[in-house]
Amino acid sequence: MSDTLLAMEGITKVFPGVLANDEVSFDLQPGEVHALVGENGAGKTTLMKILYGLQKPDSGTIYLRGQATSIRNPRDAIAQGIGMVHQHFMLVPPFSILENIVLGEETHTAGILRMEEPTEKIERIMRENGLPVDLSVTVAELPVGLQQRVEILKILYRGAEILVFDEPTAVLTPGEVDDLFETFRMMKDQGKGIVFITHKLDEVLAVADRITVIRRGKVIETLPRKGATKAKIAELMVGKPVLLEVKKETVEAGATILEVRNLRQTGERGTAVLAGVGLSVKAGEIYGIAGVEGNGQTELVKAVTEPVKLDEGDVLLQGQSILSWDVRTRRDAGIAHIPEDRQRFGLLLPFSLADNLTLGRHHRPPFVKGSQWIDSAKIRESARKTIAAFDIRTPSETTPAHALSGGNQQKAIVAREMSFEPILLVASQPTRGVDIGAQEFIYSQLLEARQNGKAVLLVSADLDEILSLADRIGVMFKGHIIKELDRAEATREKIGLYMTGGEQDAAH
Amino acid sequence: MLRIRFDKFRLMELLAPVLGFLAALVVLLIITMIVGETPGNTIRAILKFTVSNASRLASVFSVAIPLFLSGLAVAIAFRAGVFNIGVEGQYFIGGLVGALAGIYLPLPKVIHLPVVVLAAMAGGALWAAIPAVLKITKGIHEVISTIMFNNIALALVNFLVNGPLSGRGEQSLEPQTRRILSTALFGKLNHWFQAIGLNVPNHVYLDYTLIVAIIMGILAYVLLFRLRFGFEIRAVGTSIDVSHYAGIRVKTVQLGVFLISGAVAGLIGMQEIFAIRGYYTFQIASGLGFDGIAIALIGRNSPIGVIFSAILFAFLKQAGYGLQLYTSVPNSIIYIITGLMIIFIVIINEIVTRYIRALRKKEAA
Repeated sequence: MSDTLLAMEGITKVFPGVLANDEVSFDLQPGEVHALVGENGAGKTTLMKILYGLQKPDSGTIYLRGQATSIRNPRDAIAQGIGMVHQHFMLVPPFSILENIVLGEETHTAGILRMEEPTEKIERIMRENGLPVDLSVTVAELPVGLQQRVEILKILYRGAEILVFDEPTAVLTPGEVDDLFETFRMMKDQGKGIVFITHKLDEVLAVADRITVIRRGKVIETLPRKGATKAKIAELMVGKPVLLEVKKETVEAGATILEVRNLRQTGERGTAVLAGVGLSVKAGEIYGIAGVEGNGQTELVKAVTEPVKLDEGDVLLQGQSILSWDVRTRRDAGIAHIPEDRQRFGLLLPFSLADNLTLGRHHRPPFVKGSQWIDSAKIRESARKTIAAFDIRTPSETTPAHALSGGNQQKAIVAREMSFEPILLVASQPTRGVDIGAQEFIYSQLLEARQNGKAVLLVSADLDEILSLADRIGVMFKGHIIKELDRAEATREKIGLYMTGGEQDAAH
Repeated sequence: MLRIRFDKFRLMELLAPVLGFLAALVVLLIITMIVGETPGNTIRAILKFTVSNASRLASVFSVAIPLFLSGLAVAIAFRAGVFNIGVEGQYFIGGLVGALAGIYLPLPKVIHLPVVVLAAMAGGALWAAIPAVLKITKGIHEVISTIMFNNIALALVNFLVNGPLSGRGEQSLEPQTRRILSTALFGKLNHWFQAIGLNVPNHVYLDYTLIVAIIMGILAYVLLFRLRFGFEIRAVGTSIDVSHYAGIRVKTVQLGVFLISGAVAGLIGMQEIFAIRGYYTFQIASGLGFDGIAIALIGRNSPIGVIFSAILFAFLKQAGYGLQLYTSVPNSIIYIITGLMIIFIVIINEIVTRYIRALRKKEAA
């Protein structure tokens, strides 16, 4: 055991009312990728925060290379060779890549920066780990995938031997994911250890050597990759068998519900964020928008759900232009919207669950009488029905929304939008940050909407999600739909290529 | 079962301001000891001037009436996240418009009284309308514009009372308007209290503004918690993003709440103008609009909470006079204590809120 890089033993951490980590033990060998999987709130993040010195454990010991140690803050962690690639990057956009990497560890002579030595060192690191970048480019100009690369270089530059990746693939295209895994392999060869936190079980099986499953703060099992299957891991995570394959019934598509024509919009920086998007969604159809984030998806959703300034184009609901309609008019006309940033847009947290479940319809009968008086009895009654129908776990309908668990908050938003009986449902990254159990629920809800003859516009960065749900797929790249595919002709590889604009490559 | 537990949370919330008050009291006693008074003396002086007899106690309530209206005006706007710092200017203008209706409209008493109240509200709303429109059309932050409008209001009434609307020569050398017609003057309600056995002396002003304040309190409560518009006010105050997403017309709500806040603010000066003085002057008590901000804060922006915090502020004001009269502690100490009390209450509130949130989370889990 002396060559064990890291061992965390009996880690316990209690938050008010929550046992986040319960006697958790976790170890990492040199040259190993150890995947840490579990549902949201299972305690993965807490465990890694303890490792990185952001949280103090209530009990338990951390051993680094066999030595018991204490990590009081991230500075300590870095000094002891622990590095972390966060979900949200910590980079200074106007600085060059080189400057970002050396920031905080600058080499200087009497206050004058010297960049030759660091440059050499970084170039060596890039070669050894398969992480090529142009050091002179400013970070602001980089696509997300390359920004992540800079983050990795940053921690390698500081001599990290233990690298923690928190859901690193969420922001990457399939090609970039492959590159990242190649980097993992090269780092393994140098004897480094990698902790890989993810929701995606395919990736776990593709790259991990061992897999530790955490549920409700406890380690359920640590298993070698050999013999591990998706179904097995998912079952360990959730605690019961999980339906991974989505069962889709055949639905005859009906009349066109949503039509988007040639949308053009200029962004803040004067570049086109929408460059002629056109699509149509029929009743009983799920239209999936695939693409790397930041290629106009957010703007497209906005144009459908709220009034925005456009240079050109039109949005039609059942043949009627809705461009000048405000959000309320659009909602009244039957557009429901599961927003991408649900933390920010989804719920009025101090308000009761009942109020939240009627929000958006709160201004109409039956929830108001005589146009102005709130009928709270009706609101509660309707909420109770929704809570039962969508299995939202809550002490009561009058409980404030902030008291619900994250998963149940997500459920509440989906439940609200579905219970409106919309004719068009716009679902933006509906399963982002959602655990497997809730994901199953959301998928079944989307498919049920489709079966009930609703039109669904699904925007997702998760290719598997698009492939399991959509009837037609539009791949967005640089503000327009670069390619529209029928589900039958779509494959991961094809979509992946179009996502990076590789039209020519895909042609042959 | 669940009900009882929620009531426990409620009780904890209510206890927070009490603890803040006690903490501030301890500081007050320490300060007075440094100044050279005994705590006993200080407490006696305070009690003597606030609660020692019916007259003192009634005075506290009398002083609380305009403070309540001010706190209410600020609280309503705060509920929608609108920072109406312009209550000060709005009550100077509202009072003037009300007074003009009282001076120049010859009406029978039953009509004249509601007319002057509505006129004052219209005046306050009018003065709030300009910053409100600037906010929703041009995005000019209301804190800046309302503060500037306070100064404009003061200068404006100063000019008007000295110039075009001056009633000087008629009966006084002080700059003031003509006298308000007797049909519009606010009478006292003291005999009502005396009739039910409360010995409120005649010199204390418990006048028609008490009725106005009670009606406003009830209307505000109904608006905020029973009407759809109030729901939208609270939603906008909680999150503009969520409200916009849910189809609430955020700007309409902001405009509406600004006008309502201004209308309530217009009433603050009525006690002094219609019950005490009987004419308008720019020398009516100033600063009540700013007191309203603190009162709303301590009253947690709730119409009911504001009742208690207005009474607390009235108590402190009176206590300050008591200290000045009977001890060597300067009146200004009361300002320090008021400030400290606000800070204590805010901090304790925050701690309690977080604690309750954690408890609720535990319950839901």
